Amino acid sequence: MKTLVSLIGGIAAALVAASASAVITLGASVQLSGPLANTGRYYRDGYEMAIDTINKAGGVKVGGKSEQLELKILDNQSDNNLAVRQYVQLVTQDKISLLLGPFASDAVIATSSVAEKYQVPMVQGGGASDQIYSRGYKYIFGTLPAATKYFESTIEAMGKLNPAPKTVALLYADDAFDVSVAKGTRDLIKAAGLTTALDERYSTNASDFASLLARIKSANVDAVLVAGHETEILNFIRQAKSLSVSPKIYSFTVGVPSADFRKALGKDADFAFGMTSWLPTATLTDQWFGNAEKFEQAYKARFGYEPDYHAASAVADVEAYAKAIEAAGSTDPQKVRDAVAKLNFDSLYGPIKFDEKGQISLPQTVIQVQDGKVVPIYGGKGFIEKPRYPMPAWDKR
Amino acid sequence: MDLLWQVLVNGVLLGGLYALMALGLALVWGVLNIVNIAHGAFIMLGAYVCYYLFAGLGLDPFAALPLAMLALFVFGYVVQRYLLNLVIRAPMFNTLLITFGIDVVLTLLAQLAFSADFRTINPTYAGSNFMLGSATVPFVRVIAFGIAVGLTLLLWLFLTRARLGRAIRATAQNLVAARLYGVEPRRVYALTFALGAALAGAAGSLYGVVSQVNPYIGGSLTAKSFAIAIIGGLDSPLGVIVGGLFLGIVESLTSLYIGPTYSDVASFGILVLVLIFRPSGLLGRTA
Amino acid sequence: MNRFGVVAIVVVVLALLATVPWIASPSIIQFGISTLLMAVLAQSWNIIGGYTGYASFGNSVFYGLGSYGVAIAMVQWNLPFGVGLAFGAVLALLFALLIGLPVLRLRGHYFAICTLALAEVMTAIVSNLEIAGRNTGLVLPLLRGDALFYELSLGLLALTTLTVAYIARSRFGFGLIAIRENEEAAAVMGVDTTRYKVAAFAISGFFTSLAGGIHAYWITFLDPVSAFDITLNVKMIIMAVFGGPGSIFGPVVGAFLLSAISEVLSTKISTLASLFFGFVIIVAVVFMPRGLADLGRRFRSVGWRYFAENVRRNRL
Repeated sequence: MKTLVSLIGGIAAALVAASASAVITLGASVQLSGPLANTGRYYRDGYEMAIDTINKAGGVKVGGKSEQLELKILDNQSDNNLAVRQYVQLVTQDKISLLLGPFASDAVIATSSVAEKYQVPMVQGGGASDQIYSRGYKYIFGTLPAATKYFESTIEAMGKLNPAPKTVALLYADDAFDVSVAKGTRDLIKAAGLTTALDERYSTNASDFASLLARIKSANVDAVLVAGHETEILNFIRQAKSLSVSPKIYSFTVGVPSADFRKALGKDADFAFGMTSWLPTATLTDQWFGNAEKFEQAYKARFGYEPDYHAASAVADVEAYAKAIEAAGSTDPQKVRDAVAKLNFDSLYGPIKFDEKGQISLPQTVIQVQDGKVVPIYGGKGFIEKPRYPMPAWDKR
Repeated sequence: MDLLWQVLVNGVLLGGLYALMALGLALVWGVLNIVNIAHGAFIMLGAYVCYYLFAGLGLDPFAALPLAMLALFVFGYVVQRYLLNLVIRAPMFNTLLITFGIDVVLTLLAQLAFSADFRTINPTYAGSNFMLGSATVPFVRVIAFGIAVGLTLLLWLFLTRARLGRAIRATAQNLVAARLYGVEPRRVYALTFALGAALAGAAGSLYGVVSQVNPYIGGSLTAKSFAIAIIGGLDSPLGVIVGGLFLGIVESLTSLYIGPTYSDVASFGILVLVLIFRPSGLLGRTA
Repeated sequence: MNRFGVVAIVVVVLALLATVPWIASPSIIQFGISTLLMAVLAQSWNIIGGYTGYASFGNSVFYGLGSYGVAIAMVQWNLPFGVGLAFGAVLALLFALLIGLPVLRLRGHYFAICTLALAEVMTAIVSNLEIAGRNTGLVLPLLRGDALFYELSLGLLALTTLTVAYIARSRFGFGLIAIRENEEAAAVMGVDTTRYKVAAFAISGFFTSLAGGIHAYWITFLDPVSAFDITLNVKMIIMAVFGGPGSIFGPVVGAFLLSAISEVLSTKISTLASLFFGFVIIVAVVFMPRGLADLGRRFRSVGWRYFAENVRRNRL
């Protein structure tokens, strides 16, 4: 019993020992191991890259004095309960009052309550579900555009294809983000006057899509829209090939912009449509990186893989803090929070301006894999490149 | 009707793969009375061995499969001989816990060694198929099914005909009797566990060919293997085939008629019912 | 140590622990809440697993039912927290009685796997239930009151441990131990094994569900995968077995120690924490399969040979 008491005392001492430092520290708990580690790394690398670049350019000016940024990042092992505890720890023990987010909507829903509880801002680029913003929270800001509108540009583009698809199958995983996507997409399909042939929810982490594919095939659907996770979409495409299911067009919420997804599928990734809130173009100018294209090159050179919109969104979160701290002239969480809410600047990710709920609004560019490369197809102003449509049968590729 | 036929074909082919996944688990459980929670992690390792032989050396996945089995056989032998044999007579949940610990360690080491990237074993013929009546039949799934059934039959022959196989079965029934049989239990235990691991290696190779591989696929594969092994029964490899087919078909039909989110309700619900009403499996002798 | 001394020490420790919210930093309070709740789970598992010898992997079902009881009551019906706790506990008791009867007839691994499957089934069912928010889960109202959660958890742990201490000395407890050692013999001795087992299952479930309910309100977010998490169930078992299954304080000490270790690890070395956790399990099972309680009893007389003896006793 004595050992127990002394042990608790020891831990208490260890926990208290680490305390605030002179630099400005941003805190995050990200999925660096566990099933979401694959996407989690974009956030770690994006945060680190942004902080290093800002520091190299002289850091952040607070009241005439330049201060360096620093990142305290913890691995939540893809466990939302652990993530919540780690955020509390970041706030209360490490005295960090500016938080960056984890990846994925459900993790953001869970952890943002910590920010709200301790009244410190959390700027996150990993969650898009409307559940995050429907709680009236004041301290959560997000740089992913609304989940409900992920398919908006895709459906708009579909109307301009020749021959335009008439029937649609909507498949979605049952997690917070994808349910939001499906909810919004249903309205968009109706508004576009398309017929829904299939509207099915499937379990997150499902690996067998044969039954769904059989139904898609027998209903002879023109367009298939899938909101899910990368592993599911990999399985979906591979099984579509082995069952010779080829609708005129299929589009996926995630995967298509990510390099390792395309690498895993090889040639079979071709013709897949997707969307991204970000493309590494020179037209997106940025105070620290120059532009998005330069950022992409620097990122690739440093980490050995291509960034996608997750990474760019992560960079935008850090930049948002840098801008807000300078505008507030303080690192006081209240003042920074108010400054974040008023932000309006151009970043390599796009214009950063939060609505009253705290979410950003960005158009989704329709993209397609053509010969192993991601090609932008359709944006706000119409077609950019020529879509390969309709998708040829699997044996005619 | 065409739809039903297609879904049935899908279910049967899925079931063959399921059976192979569960075969090693059932063998180890039935003979050694070890419930190996790390079985899914073994399948994952097998898939990685096959992946690296395929992607690194350009080996055909079906040529790499025996090598993956061999690698896992050696690995399994070492794990049982030098670790699990140490706790074999400890209370039951200790063996559960130690295999859980192995699962945690293997999963994390796999992420460190192989990264969390998704991999697929994707040979050029991976997507080819043929027609059987009105149903499209994926070529690799048929091969995978054939290998699964073939390995099951081989295991069954081995356990009933070969001397070592009979020794393994004797061990399952009675450790003391097995000693009288002239069997060195430590070696038999290690060999049995190694066989189970080798079967996981084969299942992993096939899984990589039809699906995707990452360090975290183990957990759900273990759970599914439990269901199949129990539904089929632990007495005989042939029961496991039946369990696999049954589950494959049930899941496919559930997904078709009730909804894709209900297939887990069906498979684990059936597992609970089988345990309660026929604990020795659908085909097993009633307890 | 006599009985009086034990009681005195326990009271002092309890009093000390109760003052934590007034003297410690918020992160220690939060560490305290999660550790205390973990200890409640390990202690509850101890009743069915440690004393009765049934390796339940279904305690995470009770935990999930308790969590959802609170969440559904508060979010869907706007009822107070206390009513939610009671609702969750009722769900857990019903589950223990209805499912316990058939499932507790199974022995050994079959019972373990069946309860594991039950947790999977519950995850799958709840992710299809509209009222439980399906797989997207429920968001509970935010309460800034960690001191309250801490004291509630501490109170619950005290109550659970008191119950276990009472059981350990009662006729009921002896019946459970008899079932663990030899169920047939227990039946012959006149123990109504079915009733005893179901009662143990229900008591275990009752406390587990209360811990789940407190946790849900504290963490403010709930989805099926985290509510019926099998890993959580494995953690309960590890903590109970590490501390000493079938002892009164073993599981509590095990939970405190392992929580402390894993908390320090997951903040200091982050990713490698779970690797280390895996190694701890393996090493503990090999060298001290009877837990800290047994180690504490026998180490003084046997010394370092204790570990070698354990290996010799359990190896093939």
